[in-house]
Amino acid sequence: MFRFVLLVFVIICGLTPKAYAFDSDLLTIGLADDTVQITTGFNGSRLTIFGVKREQGDLAIVVRGPERRVTVRRKGQSLGMWRNVDDMRFRNVPSYYDFAMSGVEREIAPAILRREYGIGVDSLNFDALGRNTEAEIRTFREALIRNKQMHGHFALEPEKITFLSDEFFRVDFDIPADVPTGRYTIMTYLFQDGRAVGERKTDLRIGQVGFSASVYRFAHNNSLMYGIAAVLMALFAGWLVNLFFRKE
Amino acid sequence: MQIYLPIAEMTVPAESILLLGTFVGFLSGLFGVGGGFLTTPFLIFMGLPPGIAVGTQSNQLVAASLSGVLAHFKKGNVDFKLGGVMLVGSLLGSVIGVSLFKLLKHMGQIEFVIPLLYVFLLGSMGLMMFYESLSSMLKKKDVEGDESSKLMHHKFFTSLPYKMRFPRSKLYVSALVPGAIGFVGGLLVSIMGIGGGFLLVPAMIYILGMPTILVAGTSLFQIMITTIFATIMQAVTNHTVDLVLAAMLIFGGVVGAQFGVRFSRKLKGSYARFLLASMLLIVCFKLAGDLFIAPTELYSTEVN
Repeated sequence: MFRFVLLVFVIICGLTPKAYAFDSDLLTIGLADDTVQITTGFNGSRLTIFGVKREQGDLAIVVRGPERRVTVRRKGQSLGMWRNVDDMRFRNVPSYYDFAMSGVEREIAPAILRREYGIGVDSLNFDALGRNTEAEIRTFREALIRNKQMHGHFALEPEKITFLSDEFFRVDFDIPADVPTGRYTIMTYLFQDGRAVGERKTDLRIGQVGFSASVYRFAHNNSLMYGIAAVLMALFAGWLVNLFFRKE
Repeated sequence: MQIYLPIAEMTVPAESILLLGTFVGFLSGLFGVGGGFLTTPFLIFMGLPPGIAVGTQSNQLVAASLSGVLAHFKKGNVDFKLGGVMLVGSLLGSVIGVSLFKLLKHMGQIEFVIPLLYVFLLGSMGLMMFYESLSSMLKKKDVEGDESSKLMHHKFFTSLPYKMRFPRSKLYVSALVPGAIGFVGGLLVSIMGIGGGFLLVPAMIYILGMPTILVAGTSLFQIMITTIFATIMQAVTNHTVDLVLAAMLIFGGVVGAQFGVRFSRKLKGSYARFLLASMLLIVCFKLAGDLFIAPTELYSTEVN
């Protein structure tokens, strides 16, 4: 199966060499599936990316989920009990972040460039809302990243890029069961001597399908009917119980 | 088997949810309580957001209370007029409760307030029941409801305005009293995800002075309508009712309740209350411990 996908992919790449914008010519990227489908039995998945690079250089691949506003809260002790005492809100926090590199982080590109392209968890920049000191922002930012990593929504370390030939590569990203849904972007960068020479953007959709998707849509698009349906289901169950089991 | 919850947007082990539902159903069959006081904390322990736990639990309570109401209705043990007056209070209570829940969530205090309320409620009810059941076990007799308590004849309750006649319960009391009891019930449903039977029943006996035989059916009737209303309101305003989760809890509950009812016939009243009291206290201690023990990670995140 894998060999077949590979073959089809190579053929497609070979047949359409001029189909890409000039600055993207150096890279071609393809997904084994361009959607991750969350069904009722969904328990995580694997996202496989194939690609071809037509020149020498190092690669960095970044997978980002849709951006969200996130509140980070800090617990403190009051009257002996632990409760949230402080918070900070951040903007443009990717709901999911994973990345892969073909070499060591600092050898691929200088810190400035990594920050610009958002390569590596430390180079992610999200904006703190409200007035805070630099030190506070740094502490909350680190806590945010730590929390996201703990939940498996931010990468702990880069995935490996496997080269099947000098040009042809493959990366596997593991998708956790509670992956945030929405439109994802996958950015692939080619670096030569610390300069970015090529980039390529690919879209990915992660969403519920089938029964789960219908339930979700019903609940959000027609919430009143959904609530009534939930009540009717419960009333029916309660009535059945009474019918069959209570015979005193 | 892992199952994806479409509204909670997370995967949970289906066996654990079914087991929880069955266990809680068993308890409700055994003790005649709704069991929300166990379901909500356990769902939160399992990592479900408190909002989903409370919203979905209110849906489960609809099923649990209807089968109880029907049984009492057949025996004519429901005072609909009194239940109706309580409902006015409880619907108001659940509207305020849902908004209060939203406000506390916004302030980042909901994960603190819910366990704290549980500790207070479970602790006080558990201790009272523990003491009562232990003393009746030691005296080797079953004392059902102490009649010496005449709170309803207290000057405060008799001087309230809007007096109404409730012929079924043979009562002539201010409508404010059942209304206020209902109000507290409504708050409990929408903030803590519990029907509150274990609080309503004593209140109706001791404060209202209702005949004991009508109390269970009337409180269940009131809880059923309140949870129906709360379910619809949670679904509309907060999108926190997960049908898949609710279906699993209800199914487990149905199975468990049958075992519970059968088992209850072999268990003496005071022993059953002693067991229930111990369980309330265990959950109470666990929750209290979590409030006082320093968490390993001080920071938490919430997506807005």
